[in-house]
Amino acid sequence: MQISYKPGSSFLYGLNPLIKGVLCFVLIMFFSLNGLQLTAMAGSLAALLFFAALGRLPLTDLVLSIKRIWFLLVIVGLVQGFRGNGFELAPALEGMIRILGVFIAAGCYLTVSPQSELMFFWETVFRPLRLFGLPARELALVMVIAVRFLPVMLSEIDRIRMAQIARGARLGKGGFFSSAAALMPLMIPTLAQAIIRGEELAEAMEARGYRVSGNRTRYYRFGIGFFDVPAGLLALVVATLTVWSRFL
Amino acid sequence: MIILDKVSFRYNEKSETSFKLKEVSFSCSKASITGVIGGNGSGKSTVARLIAGMIEPQSGTVSVDGFAPFNHIGRCGFLAGIIFQTPDNQIVGTTVAEDLAFGLENLGVNYDEMQVRVRETAARFGLGNMLATPVHYLSGGQKQLLCIASVMIMQPSWIIFDEPTSHLDPWARDNFWQTVKPFAREHDIGVMVVSQLAEDLQHFEQILAFNAGSLVFNGPIADLRASVEQLQWFRIPDAWKLEKILEA
Amino acid sequence: MSPQLELKNLTVSYGGKPVAQKLNGSFGCGRINLLVGRAGSGKSSLLLTIAGFHTEFSGQILYDGAVFQPAGNFSLTFQDPESLFFNTSVGDEVEYSLRMRELAENEITPRAQQWLQRWGLEPEKFYSRHPFELSGGEKRRVALAACTVAMPPVILLDEPLAGLDANGQKALAEMLNQLAHEHIVIVVTHEPEVFLHPDSNILFLREGQGSWFSGDDFLRQAVCNREFYPLPRWYCQALGPFSTASSLPPVNAEAVASFIAREKSHADKL
Repeated sequence: MQISYKPGSSFLYGLNPLIKGVLCFVLIMFFSLNGLQLTAMAGSLAALLFFAALGRLPLTDLVLSIKRIWFLLVIVGLVQGFRGNGFELAPALEGMIRILGVFIAAGCYLTVSPQSELMFFWETVFRPLRLFGLPARELALVMVIAVRFLPVMLSEIDRIRMAQIARGARLGKGGFFSSAAALMPLMIPTLAQAIIRGEELAEAMEARGYRVSGNRTRYYRFGIGFFDVPAGLLALVVATLTVWSRFL
Repeated sequence: MIILDKVSFRYNEKSETSFKLKEVSFSCSKASITGVIGGNGSGKSTVARLIAGMIEPQSGTVSVDGFAPFNHIGRCGFLAGIIFQTPDNQIVGTTVAEDLAFGLENLGVNYDEMQVRVRETAARFGLGNMLATPVHYLSGGQKQLLCIASVMIMQPSWIIFDEPTSHLDPWARDNFWQTVKPFAREHDIGVMVVSQLAEDLQHFEQILAFNAGSLVFNGPIADLRASVEQLQWFRIPDAWKLEKILEA
Repeated sequence: MSPQLELKNLTVSYGGKPVAQKLNGSFGCGRINLLVGRAGSGKSSLLLTIAGFHTEFSGQILYDGAVFQPAGNFSLTFQDPESLFFNTSVGDEVEYSLRMRELAENEITPRAQQWLQRWGLEPEKFYSRHPFELSGGEKRRVALAACTVAMPPVILLDEPLAGLDANGQKALAEMLNQLAHEHIVIVVTHEPEVFLHPDSNILFLREGQGSWFSGDDFLRQAVCNREFYPLPRWYCQALGPFSTASSLPPVNAEAVASFIAREKSHADKL
């Protein structure tokens, strides 16, 4: 299963995008940096899953998508587990929970955030860059379009791959380590297609009145809702916990 | 009313052959469906882009309802919207609502009006309960509908279709015309269709035919039919050929 | 009898849902095989299943009586096959497939040139040109030549006519009909009328089921009932009165005109 926005209407969906984004960021930081014991970490992962279930997220999809990173999980488990004196289970599990926590927190965030909210969040994050003359809203739009076209490009690459394999290209066999030359039949057409697509999209956007640095209004407005206050507080608590357990 | 007066357009000024359009003059009214025909590189797409205000003529004037489209695009009130061939390359938003709103945001429409117009337009095109649906969940037909809706929401006085039927299956082609014809009649909107499919000819009332950057025919479809023998650039559709043979 | 590609109780699913169920029948040489149906009816999935890329299916695909082994035995192109170009000359593009199959070096160029000639492109004129300099129709032919140059027994084409003008479509359809004499050519298309001969083989996918038609049966059904398949209106109108004739003409004005003349004179004699 691919992780992407799934329409829904629980309290997690209703959070202000800024709070949502910050909470996700804090959670990722928490899982990667905290200095807690194994039980506490497993507890926080369970709490995360509990909240996700409470927010009626499609947990089975999320859990199924873990199989995409199982390889990473195993590697991390092995690297963390082997200490000077043989294999220890606790550090191995700890490492795996860190990865899982980051993965699930990010997955939940992407599931409940439509592009408009991601864009709003990024735009706010980029806003300080305006001081240096960088256009925050355009940068955010670039990110949104990149995400929008990801599924389209992936299926495109898949088609090119199949057709070139049919011509005799050995793309699969060398796998990860095949040389750059062997990948040419895949890379050049993909790049060419991306450029064509980009040009057509630019035309279509212009035709609908888009101008860089134009004065645009917003379709979405994001207020502060009932759950934003506790969610904000939660972010604060988790951030404090991270710093405290790690550095103090 | 669309009026082109001695319009020329070329991409760079080096040679005679770089002309995309050479001193083209014509006018067309909203009353009938105008078909723009011609082969690849004949200049028909350039005409569509000039009318949509995406490019500016190097000489001559383009006027749509009395305004120059190139200077007018992006301001309140929209002259001519254009819908391109591939739906996937012109949907900017990641959800139906976002894509509908994109053009309005560019025009600077205010928040309250935008909410109303997005809901109204979505309902009119049968997308009312899909506002939050990610666009990659839509079927091919729904995507095309969204493209039309996203342009119609800007309330253009003209709508231009650039090869709308060439990617569709034959049922969808019939369907397209069954939708567009009453649509043109019921709304106060001019319809222009760029196409090179012989099957589409029967749906046009007025024809503008281009060949090598020049306008080679301008008139009602009956006149084109009457004088078709003299036009060397024109590939006579089988339907007409057959009738001619049977008459003889 | 040349080998056939046989579908035995083949059900193709996509995302857990069956899109084409219990297909039984065969694609053969000597006549073109057309795969038609609405967008989303599973045509492309079936093509990918034959190619071995789509694995969500049950049932069997047999070639010459044994399970079909796709590797090396098929070519596959999608809409706009010219988007696969990655070399700087037509020659390199066409030779690529032979090179990857490790043909003897001295055989590669002659075979590629011969093949290009078969697609109506003189090697002297085209071999060293850049693929992007060519016209739309030439590009398409180079692309198809480059994909089929290894001459696999099974040739799978998804919408090979899309984006060409009427003349280009006609010429290409003629070449593919020729190609079908020596290969099993299966074409997914929204324009079956351009290929159709009375003896073409058609698999029509609708509502999850597949039905097989000869070109003649298909034309006849479409002429009687536009809901069945929307062929060009003029053809159905012209042939409506003759739908019971022994064999219907292909979809082009000249053939239809001489057919009608023949039928009329026949009726007069009676």
